[in-house]
Amino acid sequence: MDFEVTYTEEQQRFRAEVRAWFEANVPAGITREPASAGESHENYQMRRELGRKLGAKGWLFPTGPQQYGGGGLDVDDAIILEEEADRLDLSLPPFYDSGATMGAPTIAVWGTEEQKEAFLRPIYRGDVRVWQLLSEPSAGSDLAGVKMRAIREGDEYVLNGQKIFIGSANGTDWMWTLAVTAPDAERHQNLSWFMVDASLPGITVQPMELLGSGGGGEHGHKNTIFFEDVRVPALCLVGGENNGWKVASTHLELEHGGGGHIGRNRLWEGLLSHCRKNYRDGQPLTAHQDVRDLLADIYIRGEVGRLFGLRNFWLTYARQPKSYEGPQASLYYKYAGLWMTSAILEAVGPAALTTDPRWGSNEGFLEGQQRNGIVAVHPGGTADIQKVEMARRIGIGRTTRQAAGKIA
Amino acid sequence: MDLSLNEHQRMLGQSVRSFMERRAPRSKIVALQRSELGYEPETWKTIAELGWLGLLIPERYGGGGASLTDAAVLYEEFGRGPLPGPFFSSGVLGALVLLEAGTDEQRHRFLPAIARGERVFSVAITEPARSWGPHGIAVTAERHGERYRLNGTKLFVSDAVAATHLIVAVRTGPALDAASLLVIDKQTRGVSARLLPGFIGWQAEVTFDNVEIPAEGLLGTRENEGWAALTRAMERAWPILCAYQVGSCQAIFEMSVEYSQTRVQFGVPIGRFQRVQDHIIRLVNHLDAARWTTWEAIWKLDNGRPAAASVHLAKAVTAEAHIEACNAAHEVHAGIGSSLEYGLVPHTQLSRTLFNYLGDPKWHKRQMAAALDW
Repeated sequence: MDFEVTYTEEQQRFRAEVRAWFEANVPAGITREPASAGESHENYQMRRELGRKLGAKGWLFPTGPQQYGGGGLDVDDAIILEEEADRLDLSLPPFYDSGATMGAPTIAVWGTEEQKEAFLRPIYRGDVRVWQLLSEPSAGSDLAGVKMRAIREGDEYVLNGQKIFIGSANGTDWMWTLAVTAPDAERHQNLSWFMVDASLPGITVQPMELLGSGGGGEHGHKNTIFFEDVRVPALCLVGGENNGWKVASTHLELEHGGGGHIGRNRLWEGLLSHCRKNYRDGQPLTAHQDVRDLLADIYIRGEVGRLFGLRNFWLTYARQPKSYEGPQASLYYKYAGLWMTSAILEAVGPAALTTDPRWGSNEGFLEGQQRNGIVAVHPGGTADIQKVEMARRIGIGRTTRQAAGKIA
Repeated sequence: MDLSLNEHQRMLGQSVRSFMERRAPRSKIVALQRSELGYEPETWKTIAELGWLGLLIPERYGGGGASLTDAAVLYEEFGRGPLPGPFFSSGVLGALVLLEAGTDEQRHRFLPAIARGERVFSVAITEPARSWGPHGIAVTAERHGERYRLNGTKLFVSDAVAATHLIVAVRTGPALDAASLLVIDKQTRGVSARLLPGFIGWQAEVTFDNVEIPAEGLLGTRENEGWAALTRAMERAWPILCAYQVGSCQAIFEMSVEYSQTRVQFGVPIGRFQRVQDHIIRLVNHLDAARWTTWEAIWKLDNGRPAAASVHLAKAVTAEAHIEACNAAHEVHAGIGSSLEYGLVPHTQLSRTLFNYLGDPKWHKRQMAAALDW
């Protein structure tokens, strides 16, 4: 048993190379929280430029197959890249790109050779940003009940419908979605999966005002997207007509925590630092036993979450059989985050609620958690949906167990 | 990174599991609940012969010289029973305390006998109306020439009735941590152990009434070094206890899933009801939290990493998880779960008995915070 990656000398050299490259190429101030839409756009451009540079080196999607422009690196090297990015408070890709991180593996599993060539290369090179379009006003948890229509006309499909809670600020290049291609077929056998160029006529993006949005950050900012007679080339249907629900199982598995995660616990670091620097009754918060007890419980939940992520990461890359572990990790993060909002509020007091530069904590760092801890319970499948998935896979009340989604 | 057990450990786990199925099935575990000692002499003897009792004891003292990971595999399988008896008290905690505190001569005298199962050790630390820690030790050992004289009471001492020998933490000075460890033959005049009745498993009140022992009963060569040795021993013993509890959680998880498939109400298996599913999901989340915090702590110990914070964290998480897992299993099973014949109650009683044992979760969390230097 080994809970750590052991690095060879060659890998240590790779780390040094990566670190030096990051130092030379990551612009100063890239991780500063943008204060306005203008700053947000500027910051986004900076991050996209970094993404293209990473893409050219094959470091944007390090484990992506080389023949389509991915890095073709093994997992250990990918971990080194992720850790080095994490050191600078960056992720890979360094901007909101869940459509690509979940879409690319989906195409790799289900796409034809032609589709892999057409879609994977621009993604791996950082030339495009991608959003995923799943929820609709009447299809949230019941995702298979989406109503967006795709009707075949010659070499094209014509898409009509509405998607909500989509993307981030600053727009996108591509989007992928699930749409009904067989209105009379049975549930789960009536959908197809499409990759769509976001600049096609008939697509309108309308920002939503949500609890999670705020500041100029990309995350938490969501949109409603309208499709009106959008004509999509038939090549963009991935995985076969009416096979979309199976195709979706790949990205849903990833979205439900199946891919695993390694990285620092930035929330914890910020919280501890706040509690060391701020006082109550003449003593730092960390000197009060009641605060220490709360911090211990907060820390423990973070550690359990880290271990669930680490376990799933290992299961994925060691190609071990998986069952309920993905939705379990997802459920755990959601509930732990929600629970932490009240635990942190109790430990820190009302300073956790304000972004005020003088009285708030770390430029509103904790205030963001107070809002996002609530919001995060729902995207990527609500907590309740994660439980439904777990129950099916564990085989509670049924002797046939549902299999985990195929992600590689 | 590799979170799997190696081939040798997987084989060990399989042998223990098949041994348990043959020698300690659920019906046997249920029957043992009413026994005074908690184990059957033949099973004790076989487990000693298989080398499992002395698994952690170094080879030069007659043991298997195995890693903590190996021992955790063994105890996780024991926990699935849960197999009662002084296996942990003697073969893990007792042995590790002797290793940490004893002189070479004392180790040679006791450890091979522990591995062979001929001597059974129980470690007596806690006292009435006292909290966990060196300051909680009030039983005094007065030195009179070449002898110590003891008076006082130790409480909630695991497996003291089954033991042939006790390791007793005693006060030998005024300083807060002036504790020493004495080995006392339970046959010594003035020593008595009485099993505590109730919803508690094999813990006893041990009284010392003018007990006189020779001075060489002191573990080590100097007084007042007992608590430090005890702490070193416990740092390695706690996660093995956790592994035992993880095994218990795993067994009740499987028991609950099976019951959800076979128990029919309203014309369907009860596991079709989402409220029943919620109980099992809560159970498996606690099980996995206990499992992975425990294994990480053990990995750190076996690989010489600083482990104190992880060990305290694992003990706190596991003690709480075990209780929560049992509560969830009772909700799934409803009435039948409380039947003493069914086999869930031994787990539940264990979860309660071990909650405070060797430090309660709150104490461990505070130690964790101190170890992390907040």
